[in-house]
Order: sequence, then C-alpha cells, then structure tokens
Amino acid sequence: MIDSYLVNRMFNNTPFVDEMTTNEGKIAPSWDALARHYSFLGPERMEQYHQEVAKQLRENGVTYNVYGDPDGMNRSWQLDPIPMVFGNQDWSVIEKGLLQRTELLNEILKDLYGSRKLIKDGFIPFELIYNHKGFLRQVDKIKIDGNQQLITYSADLARGPDGKMWVLHDRTDAPSGAGYTLENRLAMTRVFPDMIRENQVRKIASFYQAFKNTLVHLSSRNRENPRIVMLSPGHSNETFFEHAYLSSFLGITLVFGEDLTVSDGYVWLKTIKGLEKVDVIIRRVDDVFCDPLEFRNDSHLGVVGLMESVRQGKVLVINPIGSRILENPGLMAFLPRLSKEVLGEDLILPSVATWWCGQPKEMNYVLDNIEKLIVRTIYRDGSFRSVFGADLSSAEKEELKAKIRKQPYYYVGQEVVEFSTTPSWINKKLEARNAVFRSYIVADSANDRYTVMPGGLSRTSAEKGLFIVSNQQGGISKDTWVMGKSPEPYTARPKQELVLQPVVQNILPSRTGENLFWLGRYMERSAYTVRLMRIVLHSYNEVDDDIHIKEDPALSTLLRSLTKLTGTTPGFNRKSVLKNPEDELMSLACDVNKVGGLANSIQSFLRNVHSVRDRLSLDTWRILESITEELNCLKNGKNLAEVYDVLDNLIIKLMGFYGLNIDNMTREPTWHLLNVGRFIESSLNNCTVLSAMLTKKFDTETMRMLLEDTLKCNESLVTYRYRYRSNLEFSGVLHLLIISEDNPRSLVYQVMKIDEHLSTLPSDYASVLSPARKKLLEAVTKIRLLDVQQMLEFDEKKQAYINLRIFLQEIVSLLFQTSDIIYENYFSHTGSRYSMIQSTLLPEI
Amino acid sequence: MRYRVNHITDYIYDSPATLCHNIMFQIPHDFPFQKVINHEYSIYPKPSYEIVRSDFFENKYLYFSIEHSHKKLTVVSESKLELIEPEWMRVVPGNTQPWEEVVDWLKSDQALNDIKQFYLESEHVKLVDGIREYTLESFTSGRPIMEAMLELNNRIFSDFKFTPGFTDISTPVEEVFKHKKGVCQDFAHFSLACLRSIGLSARYMSGYIETLPPPGKPKLVGADASHAWIALYIPGLDWVEFDATNNLLVSDKHLRVAVGRDFADVTPLKGIVYSSGSQKMRVSVDVRNMDDIPV
Repeated sequence: MIDSYLVNRMFNNTPFVDEMTTNEGKIAPSWDALARHYSFLGPERMEQYHQEVAKQLRENGVTYNVYGDPDGMNRSWQLDPIPMVFGNQDWSVIEKGLLQRTELLNEILKDLYGSRKLIKDGFIPFELIYNHKGFLRQVDKIKIDGNQQLITYSADLARGPDGKMWVLHDRTDAPSGAGYTLENRLAMTRVFPDMIRENQVRKIASFYQAFKNTLVHLSSRNRENPRIVMLSPGHSNETFFEHAYLSSFLGITLVFGEDLTVSDGYVWLKTIKGLEKVDVIIRRVDDVFCDPLEFRNDSHLGVVGLMESVRQGKVLVINPIGSRILENPGLMAFLPRLSKEVLGEDLILPSVATWWCGQPKEMNYVLDNIEKLIVRTIYRDGSFRSVFGADLSSAEKEELKAKIRKQPYYYVGQEVVEFSTTPSWINKKLEARNAVFRSYIVADSANDRYTVMPGGLSRTSAEKGLFIVSNQQGGISKDTWVMGKSPEPYTARPKQELVLQPVVQNILPSRTGENLFWLGRYMERSAYTVRLMRIVLHSYNEVDDDIHIKEDPALSTLLRSLTKLTGTTPGFNRKSVLKNPEDELMSLACDVNKVGGLANSIQSFLRNVHSVRDRLSLDTWRILESITEELNCLKNGKNLAEVYDVLDNLIIKLMGFYGLNIDNMTREPTWHLLNVGRFIESSLNNCTVLSAMLTKKFDTETMRMLLEDTLKCNESLVTYRYRYRSNLEFSGVLHLLIISEDNPRSLVYQVMKIDEHLSTLPSDYASVLSPARKKLLEAVTKIRLLDVQQMLEFDEKKQAYINLRIFLQEIVSLLFQTSDIIYENYFSHTGSRYSMIQSTLLPEI
Repeated sequence: MRYRVNHITDYIYDSPATLCHNIMFQIPHDFPFQKVINHEYSIYPKPSYEIVRSDFFENKYLYFSIEHSHKKLTVVSESKLELIEPEWMRVVPGNTQPWEEVVDWLKSDQALNDIKQFYLESEHVKLVDGIREYTLESFTSGRPIMEAMLELNNRIFSDFKFTPGFTDISTPVEEVFKHKKGVCQDFAHFSLACLRSIGLSARYMSGYIETLPPPGKPKLVGADASHAWIALYIPGLDWVEFDATNNLLVSDKHLRVAVGRDFADVTPLKGIVYSSGSQKMRVSVDVRNMDDIPV
C-alpha cells in the first residue's frame, strides 16, 4: 500500500512535494511510524477503520449544511482516517510564525481603527483599506481594554515547493472550524488510540481551555458575574453544528439574534425568567449582519442597537466588529515590510505571492501574466469568485482585464503554487491529495500573549489537483497531528487559573424554551400517532375483502379517530376516502408536507431537536440518527406493509429517546419545559381519542373492539386485564383511562404531571397559584370529581354519550387555556418582528 | 443671512410598536461659511435612551431608543444658523487651475486621506459605464476646474428632469443616468459619480434650502424639504459647493447639516421598529429667513 503510493508519487508528479515523502522518495521521519502501521493494517482494515471513524462522527451527529441545495441540510461530516502530520521541528517554526503573524495583524487592526499612522506613513496604501467593505467607519476608535484587539485568528496554510508553509488566507472575522477539529480528534482517538499515544500526538484541549480563560478574563474586568453567549446565524448556517457543539463544550449559552435585545445601552438575553444582561458575545455572525440599524438593514441575524452598546463599553464582541478588514489578500503583499516596521522582525511565514493592482507596476504585472495567476477581489463576498487566469477564454480574459483596469484597487493577482500533497484515504486506497491546514490562535489575555492550537483542521480537495478547498465544494477533513512532546513544558502557565463560573447554568433563552416545549409535544404526538396507526393498520389488514369499510363500524371509527387525532379533516369523514382508505393512510404516514400527519410530526420533532442540540447529551444523537433513518424509510415507503414495519421500529426509538433524556437531562427548566409540552400533548390526545372512539354507541362486539383498541392506544390493555380480570366494561375503561391516579396513561395523571413540571419553572407568583396552575387545578378537580356512571348515560336524541363528550371538551378547553398562558409567560419575548423605517421616497426638492 | 429651520418627522404605526432604535442626522455644525446659533430637538414620546455622538466624518448625530409601547413617534428639530457668502463666489472660474492638476495632487502624498476618501466609490455612488465619458465632455483637457464644473452642473440641470416619485432611495445611479430623471439626491449622487469617475474628490452635502413662493403668494408652512447637493475639493479653495438641482454655485441660502460619501452616511432619520403592523413616515420642513419672522 505504502510502496505503491511512493512509486506513484515518484512517477506521476515531477517535481513533487509530498508530506509523507522526502525528495529522495523515502518516507519522511515524522511519518515513519504511521507508514509502518498503515502497511501493517493493509487496505481492508484501513477501510474498516475508515467506516468506524465515519460511524463515530455520524453517531455524534457531526454535520454541516450546504447552501443552495435542498438536500444540503445536516450533511454528515467527512473525515479522512489518515491525519495531516507535522514533525516537532517543523511545527515549532509554524507556531512561531503564526504567533508573529497574529501579533502583527493585531497591531495593524489597532492602527486601522486608531490613528491610521501606517496609512499616513505609506506602509499600507490608502485605497487598499478605504475601498475594502470590511473597513467599517462605524467602529472607528472603539477599543477593547488592553493591547489585544484581535482575540481569535485562523490562517489557512499549505506547503510550497520550497518546503515552507505558506499562508493562503487570513481569517479574522469569525473563524470557524475549531469545533469540528475537536470532534475530529475525538473520533480519531476512539478509533486509533494506540497510534495517538505511541506517536505522542499533542493534545489540543489546552487551546479550548485558553479560550475559556480569556473569555472569563475579558468579561470579569468590570463584572462579577459574566454572562457569555455565542451568537449564531441560525440552524441553516453552514457550521451550525459547531456553534451548538462549541457553546455547549465551553459552557456558554448559544443564542440567535432574536434572543437578544438592546435596552438602556445594554444587551439583554430573553430568557424564560425574563431579561438577563449579556457581557460578552462570541460572534459567528458576519460583521455587517450584526446590527441592522448601523450596517445592512436587511439583516435578521443581528441585534438592533448592538453597536451602540459596544460603543458604550457595555458589551464586548469577539472578534470585534470590523476585524474583517484584515481578511484582505491585498494586505499580504505589504506584510513583510510591515513586519519590519511594526515588530522589527522579518516575517517568518511567507504569504502566497500577491500583487495588488492598486499600484501601476503590480497591475501591469497581473495584466501581463494573468494566465499564470489566480485573480481575487480584496473583499470576499458572493459577487466575485476567485478565478484562475488559465481557465479563462481569451474573451473572458479581456473582460476581466478591463474590469481590473477600470477599478484596479479591487483586485489582486496571486501566484498559482503547486502545493504539497498528502496521503489520503479515497475509495479504499491511498491517494495523493493537496491539503490545506487551518490553524487556530487565541488571545491569552491574562498574560497578554497568544496561544496556538497544536493541531487544527486540515482539508483536502474532493478532486485531484483542485486547489480551492472548501466544505461547500465537497472537501474532506483531516485531523492534524503534531508529533512529539512539547519542547517547552508549560511552565509559564497563567498565574490565575480562571474557571468558568457556574452562573452560566440555568440560562434558558425563551426561544430555546419554546423549542423544548414543542419538542415534547411533537415527540408525544409522533408516538401517539404511531400507536393509533398501528392499531388501524392491524385491523385494516384483518378486514375481509368483500366487506365495505364503511359497513365495518369498528374500522371506520378507528379511521375517523385517526383523522381527528392528526387534525387532518375531512380525511376519513369523506365517504369516498373511507371506501378506499389506502391512499389517505399512506399520505398520513409518509407525506412530510401533510401537516399533522406522522412524517410531518416526526420531522417537526427532529427540527426542534436540532434547534436545541446544545442542550442534549451526545448519546441522544445516536438515537436521533436512527429516527432520521426511519423517517427516510417512511418517506420512501411504497405500501402499507412497509409502513407497518417502520412503525414498530419508530415507537421503540421514540421511547428510547425519551428514556435517555430521563437518565441524562439535569432537572433544570429545559427538562421541565420538555415535559410540560409532552404531558399537555398526551392529555389532549387522550381526550381526542376517547371522544372519537367512545362517544357513539355500537353493537356489543364493536363496542368491545373499540374499548380494547382505546386501551391499546393508551398502552393500558395489560393493566386493565391485570386489574379487573374481567371482560371489557365501558365503566372500567373510563375509570382506568380518566380518573385512575396511579395509571401513568390516565388523564388525571397526565394533567397532574403538567402541573408538577410547571410548578418548578420560574414564576412571578411567589405565594399564590399562577394563572396557568389555576387552570390545571380546575381540570384536575373536574376529573377527580367525575361521576363515571353519569358518563355512561346515553342521549338517545343526539345518539351519543353526550355527557362524556362535553366533559372531554371542557378538559380540552382548559388545557388550551393553560397552554396559552404558558406561552404568554415564558415565550412571549420570542416575538421579534421588526422592520426598517425611513422614508422610501426622497425629499422632493 | 440668518435662518431658522423646523424639521418635523412623524412615524405612524398601524399597530403599537414595543421598541424602536433610531439614528438622526439633523444636528448642524459649523462650516467655514456657516455658524450654528442654536440647535434644539425634542422627541415624543420621551426616549428611554439618547446620546449625541460624532461620526467618522465628524458630523454630529443622535442615537435614541424608545422602549415602551407607542403608536406614534414625533421628532422635532429646530436649528438657527447664520450663513455668509462664501469666498468662492468671488473667484473667477476661468482663473482656477486645470482640473488634471487637482487629480494629480490628490494622488500625491500632500493630499490627506480625509480628502482622498471622497474620490472612491460608495454605496450609492457607483462608477457605472458612460458616466466618465459624459463628464469628460465638460472636463476637456486643461480646462480650469471651476469653469468645467459649472458647465457640468448646468448640463446636469438641463439634461435631467426633476421628477418627484420616479426614484426612491434604492434607485441606482445607473437608472438615474439612463432615464435622466430624479430628485435632489439623485442629482447629487449623479454629480458625485461624474466627479469621482475622473478622479476628483467630491462629497455629499445634506441640509436644507429656502424655497420661495410664487410671486404674490404667501409662503406655506412646511412646504420646504431636506435638500442635497455636493462639494468638490479644490486645493486653495477647500470644499466648493454646487447644486445641480437648482443649477447654482452655492451661496448663502443652503443650510448645511452633515457631510458624507452619499445619502447612506447621513440619512436624516432612520430607525428600526418592533411592530407587527406597517408604518408610515411623514416629514415636514419649514425654512424661514429670521429677518422675516415677526418678533
């Protein structure tokens, strides 16, 4: 395996630089142990390990989203089982170079929003900054206390033909990937524990600890109780998984723009307890989307008034808004001189050769050599994609040249470099792929210096010879191993070991609370629908072909109950549908667009789960993964027999999900809100099904069947038999399903459960019963006082057990009122519709 | 000349707003030929939070928020200004330096970034095709800059039709150029695009102008509006102001409030309001010569 890789490398690609191979075609020392190990394993076991890595990531729910692709949500994350490797000495140069570059960029950032001396003295061209859309005039002169303005930084690096690592891009706005890096390492540690130990692969956890310490340090300067949040653009963002994962790992609250509001110059988090002050925001929302009042007014990802709060120094945003000015490839051309001027040092890490067209000589070079270069704009946005001059037709080339001539300062030309390849596991064999390595640097504020993660996120292109590596275009990630002991054991550790304070617990944004509430409801609704549907299908399969369903009172009642439960009227209330129920049943089970149907409920359940993923344990993801698979089976279900099989699996998995949470979730508001939702839903379902199944009168045999099915649907048949040891009696069934306080499936038990969970949630009513609990008390009392015999009185005129029906309606009404009050109390902050107001018409003079 | 300006803005919401955040550029400051005698503003309902700040271009602006339910918001600002005739009124246009010299000077180290920043593109001033050629018809080789500019001003005035309602704030310069219609902002943005396309520094002026009623008719209160014009940088003369909408070299009837790259930098009042309904904005401006106001 290794030999054939080496042979291929020698013959296919001259001259070549390969991470694993020396110039003489031998194995590089840092790869020696790994290469031997891979040879020993052989292709089959390598593939096994590959599958295992994939399984680990899948089960941990590691996903990313691809924009503009309807199937792009929650794609599974790809990890190559073969890491990117750096030897000890190699790494110490990289680390030093990264530290230096961070210091330099920090100084430049300070200057650009400060005195702009570097522009005045001619070290940075004026047009390179003033034309860059990342130069935000609104943040001029705003400073974080202390020297460090750039708190986190990432550089994308690749090895050039000279064997040195070159910087391809600087990422300073909201660098992503540190969460994926951690997941990659976890998966690799699970699958290759020995290799990691034997090769003394450096641990990356210290980076996250440093990050935590810095957050606390920055927020505790003026405050005793720091509240730190991570601002994410939302579920559909490319790296949403990581936002949820990292925030939960760092022990901070994940929020969206709509969760925050600005008042009195402070930023507040809308929680189920009311508003809570926010001290630090880690920003994963791009700069110009952060405040629609001051930047892009079409943004709904930001917080209105955030900039004013920043100016007041009432909140700290990391990285500071405006840092994106450093994501400017044109700046690369000036860094060597700046390094000498600002730091008095030579730049250690070269950037890829860059010509900024804002200077006449450089522009002419780019125009004359365009086929040898990549052309980029100084500001990265959707309007211009980097192009290889070589890929352009001569007409396109002329067009591009004309653009450059017209506004030269917007463009840079960059050298196309043959970067090194690294062995990658592709299609069950070793292949050489170009790799880009993303490094992570964070401020160590307490000591006024920076820390480099000994590792990072490497990515290879999906296709051979493709140099633009990105997840959006199907790249594959690699763990990054820095081999060998750290040369200087960390003697100079931070003096004060700061630990995140426990106040970060218990913050539950209203929106998350609402998601949990609905998560509970959809979970219960899905489970209940599955149970009823199983009963329906079971009895449908038993029907003789020659009997019309509408003449089968038990089955038609069951079918109508299903319509009622799912709220999909008219459904089986139509005679034509009832006559031929198969299509409607399939659609109820499989059509995700049928609101109230099973597939739709499960999808809503999953959507709410994804929204609160930072609140759920990792093990939960394994079950969710398999529920997602079942949903896909349902969606592709071809007939009722297939559906029936899925139903059996689903019920177990849904219960498994709930069971895991019983074991794992701390008894905090998260847990209680989930259960409030769950028990409201189950009480409602209970009433609905009782009313649909049992308020009409049929012959004795039909009644018996309906009573049995109702018990089954509420999972109480066994209990009934055990308890009453008799034939099914109407009164016994009502007793068990409505007023029996020790049956967890009874209405009274479930309503009491709502109250039990609700009573633990924060409330403004200290010594009196809250309005919602009053409604529940009323419902419980009504149920407890119920006279079952009275329920059995049949109203001949209306042809119904009218007392039962009215009773159930009253309970449903009280439950709805309770639900409304809960909404008002805990989730009303969620309302956050806003719009820009300014005259669209211009003044008329 | 001394003027008093009353600028009243009403937001009227269909359903009550629970929260709004606003930025107001209506606080004039001193200019070489303008002195602020007094400025006051009042806001109803009373803001929960307000602060006057300086922006990147050294304009003053007010940030305020109202954090309780309200159905209507009224912002009144009153400015009293004293204007004197600028020096540039006495310059002989034909005696000014050739425009290319100014372009070269701007590229030299002598020009400060604060001046240079106004020859770059901006959000509402895009250097679209054809504008440079249009400009060069007036800016012929070696022509004195004031003379060329006055001709350009005149050409814009006669080529473009003042047409209220044809454009709004999102209409790009390209459209304005194509249809040759618009209001003062469009005239100003187009003038800026012309000048920047040939490498001159020019900035957007936001303010007011006194409108005179037809002869014999009384002046109606609130009949005025905010106005926009431009300033071109000429070394030695500093920022010289031109009003293409009225085909004027600005004298002592233009009341200056704020300067920027374009309208987006100095929008007189913008806000974001949390309300489920839609909303309307109503503006009324009244400019009076203080000598005409009965004491």
